[in-house]
Amino acid sequence: MPAQVTLIVNGAKQMIAVDPDTPLLFVLRNELKLTGPKMGCGMAQCGACAVLLDGEEIRTCITPVSYAVGKQVITIEGLSAVWVAQKSLSDSEAAKTLHPVQQAWIDEQVPQCGYCQSGMMIAAVELLSKNPNPTAAQIKDAFTNKPPSPHLCRCGTYAAIIDAVQRAARAMQGAAR
Amino acid sequence: MNRNMDQRKTPAFATTISRRGFVKTGGALFVSLAFPLRFIGKTEAAGNPTSIDPTLLASWLEIRSDSTIVARTGRAETGVGITGYYPQTIAEELNVRPETITLIMGDTDRTPDGGFSAGFLTGMSNIRKVAAYTYRALLELAATQLGVPVSSLAVTDGVVSGGGKKISYGELVQGQHLELKIPVKGELAKPNPAGWVGMTSLDGLAVEGDPPMKAVKDFKVIGTSFPAGHIPDKVTGRTQWSCDLMLPGMLHARMVRPATLGSKLVSAGTIDKTKFPTAQLIQKGNLVAVVSPNEWEAVQAARSVAGTTKWTEWSGLPGSENVTRAIREYKWEKPSASKGKAAETTAALQQATKKISATYQQGYVRHAPIGPFLAVADVKSDGSATVWTHSAQSQGLRARIAYMLGIPVEKVVVRWMDQSGQYGRTTLGGDGAEADAAILSQLTGKPVRVQWTLQEDMAWSSVSPAWVSDVTAALDAEGHVVALHSAQYSPHMFDPRPLGALLAGMPTATSKPGNWVATEWAYDKIENRLEDVYGMPNLAGDSVNGGLRGNIMRTPGQRQQNFALEGLINEAAAIAGADPIEYRFVHTTDERMINLLHATAKAANWETRPSPHRGARRTGNTAVKGHGVCAMIRENAYWVGIAEISVVPNSGKVRVTKFTIGGEPGKIINPRQLDRCMKSGVVMGLSEALKEEVTFDQSKVTSTNWSRYKILTMDEMPEIQVVQLSQDDKGFGGGSEAANAIVPPAVTAAFFDATGVHARRIPLTPQRVLALLKTSAKSS
Repeated sequence: MPAQVTLIVNGAKQMIAVDPDTPLLFVLRNELKLTGPKMGCGMAQCGACAVLLDGEEIRTCITPVSYAVGKQVITIEGLSAVWVAQKSLSDSEAAKTLHPVQQAWIDEQVPQCGYCQSGMMIAAVELLSKNPNPTAAQIKDAFTNKPPSPHLCRCGTYAAIIDAVQRAARAMQGAAR
Repeated sequence: MNRNMDQRKTPAFATTISRRGFVKTGGALFVSLAFPLRFIGKTEAAGNPTSIDPTLLASWLEIRSDSTIVARTGRAETGVGITGYYPQTIAEELNVRPETITLIMGDTDRTPDGGFSAGFLTGMSNIRKVAAYTYRALLELAATQLGVPVSSLAVTDGVVSGGGKKISYGELVQGQHLELKIPVKGELAKPNPAGWVGMTSLDGLAVEGDPPMKAVKDFKVIGTSFPAGHIPDKVTGRTQWSCDLMLPGMLHARMVRPATLGSKLVSAGTIDKTKFPTAQLIQKGNLVAVVSPNEWEAVQAARSVAGTTKWTEWSGLPGSENVTRAIREYKWEKPSASKGKAAETTAALQQATKKISATYQQGYVRHAPIGPFLAVADVKSDGSATVWTHSAQSQGLRARIAYMLGIPVEKVVVRWMDQSGQYGRTTLGGDGAEADAAILSQLTGKPVRVQWTLQEDMAWSSVSPAWVSDVTAALDAEGHVVALHSAQYSPHMFDPRPLGALLAGMPTATSKPGNWVATEWAYDKIENRLEDVYGMPNLAGDSVNGGLRGNIMRTPGQRQQNFALEGLINEAAAIAGADPIEYRFVHTTDERMINLLHATAKAANWETRPSPHRGARRTGNTAVKGHGVCAMIRENAYWVGIAEISVVPNSGKVRVTKFTIGGEPGKIINPRQLDRCMKSGVVMGLSEALKEEVTFDQSKVTSTNWSRYKILTMDEMPEIQVVQLSQDDKGFGGGSEAANAIVPPAVTAAFFDATGVHARRIPLTPQRVLALLKTSAKSS
C-alpha cells in the first residue's frame, strides 16, 4: 500500500507516495523522471541500473525504495553537481562543467549503444573515490569481481571504459593540485 | 576545405533547383526525392517538428538560412557510429563543418529512404550522392548570385567565394524557398507473404546517378576522428531512450509467457483486485499480459497471474546437447545455395591422392542485449498505429505491424529511439516487443509500454541457429590445397516473425527455409572450390509458437562459414608443416590480404613456425601457450586476427592473453570509431569463442539469465592491439561489423597450437575442453 516516502536524490528532497517495496529504479524513472539508470536484468546481474547510495554503488532494480530513505541517492543526472560541489566551482563554471568521468566517457568515445554506460560511470565514480589512480588490472577487478555482479557490456566497450577511467583519474588528480 | 569545380566531372543526372516561393524570414533549400512523391503531403506532416517546411517532411537535406543543415535517413544509430560517419560524409561533399549538421534517423514519417541500418555502405553511398547533388546545386545558385561562373568558385566551411566575392550557403537560401529533386529508385517495405522474409524489399530507396564527388586525396573530414554525435547526451542522461517514453494515459505491461515453447493456453490466471486494484488481465490466443498504470503493480500482478495460469504440456526440442544430431537427422535434400565450381571441385576431390576432412559445429547463440526488448504502441480507434522502438529496420517493422493488424502500411508510423544494442536481431524488421505492444494497445484502447524481462528475452527472442559444417580439402604433394568443398547445415536464419503476433494467432509472414553463402574468398590460388549451404526449418518450428526462431546476428553467415573454412586452412597448414601465415601467402595473390597479414603479424610479434608448438601438451596442471591466426574478407574490408592463449589442460581453463586485430576497410572514415568497433568486436567474438551457448531441454530454453548465458566480463578481456590500414584507392569497406567473426577461428587455432588438439566446436568452456582433451588422449 502506498506510503509517503522522502528521498534525497541528486541533492534535492523528494516526497513521493509509493509502495515502500517498489524498486528504487521504478521510483527514480517513473516518479522522478530520472531516466539515466536503466532497466537491465532485474536481478542485480548486469549493473545497468546502478546509482550511488551514500557514495556506494547499489543496484536499484532489487533495492526497495524504503531502503534509500534518509540516504543520498546520486544518478548520472546528478554527477556534474557532485563535482561542482567538490571543487566549489562558480555558477558560470558549473554550467559548462561535467563530472570528469562523464567528460572522459565523451573524450574516449566510450558508448556504443550506451545502454549500460550509466551504470558503468557510476561504478567508475565509486572506484575513483576509493582509488584515485587505478591500474588497468584494478579497473578490471572492480568492474568484474565486486559484488553483486560484473558490470556487463554487450557491445564490448570494456577497453574504452578502462581508457576513460584512467583519463578521468588524471583529470581529477590534475584538478586536485 | 577548398574544392574547385574544375576537378569535377559533368553529372550524369541533371538535377534542377526550383523556387517554391519567397519567404519573409528564414528560407531554405530542401533536397527531396524526384520519386516517389507520396511522402509529400500536409496531413502526414502535421506532427513533424523536424522540418521548417512541414510539407517537405521527408527531405534528405535542408540547407537553412542560418547555415545549419538537417540530414535525414531511415537508417539508425545501432552503436557503431553512423552519427559520426554520416555528418562526416555530408560535410566532406558540401565543404561544411560536420558540427553544423543535425542528423534525424529512423522515423518512418520523417525520413525518406528506409533501408538497413547495418547496410553502411549503401547508406553512405546514398547520403554521399545526396550531398554531392546538393553541392552542385548550391554552386549554381552561388554562380547566379555572385555573377561568377561555377568553374571559378571555391567553398570553405559553407562559404562560397569567387571573383573576389563571398556568400554563405545560408545567405544563398535567405528569403527563398527552394527545392532540389534528386533521382531515386527502389521502394519502401510493404508486406508480401511470398517475398523474402515476407516483405517486398527491405533495401529502401537508392539514390541514382553519378554526381561528381570529391576525390579521396582532397578529403579533409573523412579520415579524421569526428566524434559520434549521440554520445554527450547519453553520458549526461539527456537522451530520451525508447524505454524513457511516457505518454498520457499509458499503461505498463508485463507479459505472461507460455510454460514451454509449444504450450497452448488452457486457462489464464486471475488478478486479486484487493491486492492489485488497477491491474488488468489481457488475453488473445496464447498471448497473456497484465497491464496497469503503475509499473510495479504490473510486475507483481503478472507474477501472480503467471503462478495460476495453466498451459498444455509440450516437449518437442532435442535438447541443446543433441542439437548436432538433430541437424544431422533432418532429411536434407538440395543445398539452398551453392557457390563455386561444382564439377571441377568434385572431380579434383575424387582424383586427389591426399585429402583431409573435418566437421565444425556450434550450438545456438543469441544477441543477448543488456536491455531486454521494449516498445511502446498507440493504436487509435481510427485504426492508425504509432510504434516507438529501436528497430534497426523501421520501414520493415512498419510493414510487419501493418500486416499483423490488417491495416494499410500508410496507417502505421514507426518512430525510432535509442535503446539497448541488438546486433542484427531487428535487421529484418521483426522480433521485438512491438507486436505485443500494438496488440495490447488495440485491445485496451490506450498507449501501452511493454517491457520484456531478461528471462523472457532470453527464452523467447529469436536466436542465431546451431550449425554443422563438413569441409574436405584435396592436397597436392607439397600439402597445398588444390580443391575445397564445404557443406554447411543449419536451421535457417530468416524468421523475423514477431512473437506477439505468433502467440496471439495474428498474421505473420516469413521466409521459406534456406540460408546463403556468405563468405568472400581470400584464397584465389585455390581455384577449385565449392561451398554448399543448406537451410532447414526452425527446430520445433511446427510447434504452435514457432519453435526456436532463427535470425541473423552480427556478421551473419560468414561468422559461421568462415570459422569452418579458416579452421580447415589452419589444419591443412599443420599437416603441411607450414607456418599458418606463410601457408596463407602460398594460397593467395590478393595484395590487400597479404599486406594486412604482414602488418598484423608484425604488430603481434608473430613467431614464424608450424603449429602445434614444440611444447604443446594435452595434460598437466600448468598453463601451456599457443598462438593462432585467421583471415576474412567482408564487404570490401579485410580482416586478420591473431590470438595468443594459455590453456591449463587439467582444468580445461582457456584464457586469451592477447588479441591482435588487423583491419583494412579501404579508406578509413573515422579511425577512433573504427578502433572502438574493432576492440569491441573482438570482445564479442571472444565471448562467443569462450563462453556463449543457448541451452535448452526438451521443452524450453534454460539459459535465461546472465549466470546461465555467460558473456565475457571486463576481467576476461585480454590486451587488444589494433592495426589499421587505410587505402585511398579501394573505395569504402564495412568496418563496424565484422571484427567479432575473426576471433573464434584464431582462438581455436591457438588452442591447437597449445595442445595439439583441434577444437572444432565452440565455445571452449572448461567442461568442453576437458572432454575434448580426454577424448583425444584416448584416440591417440
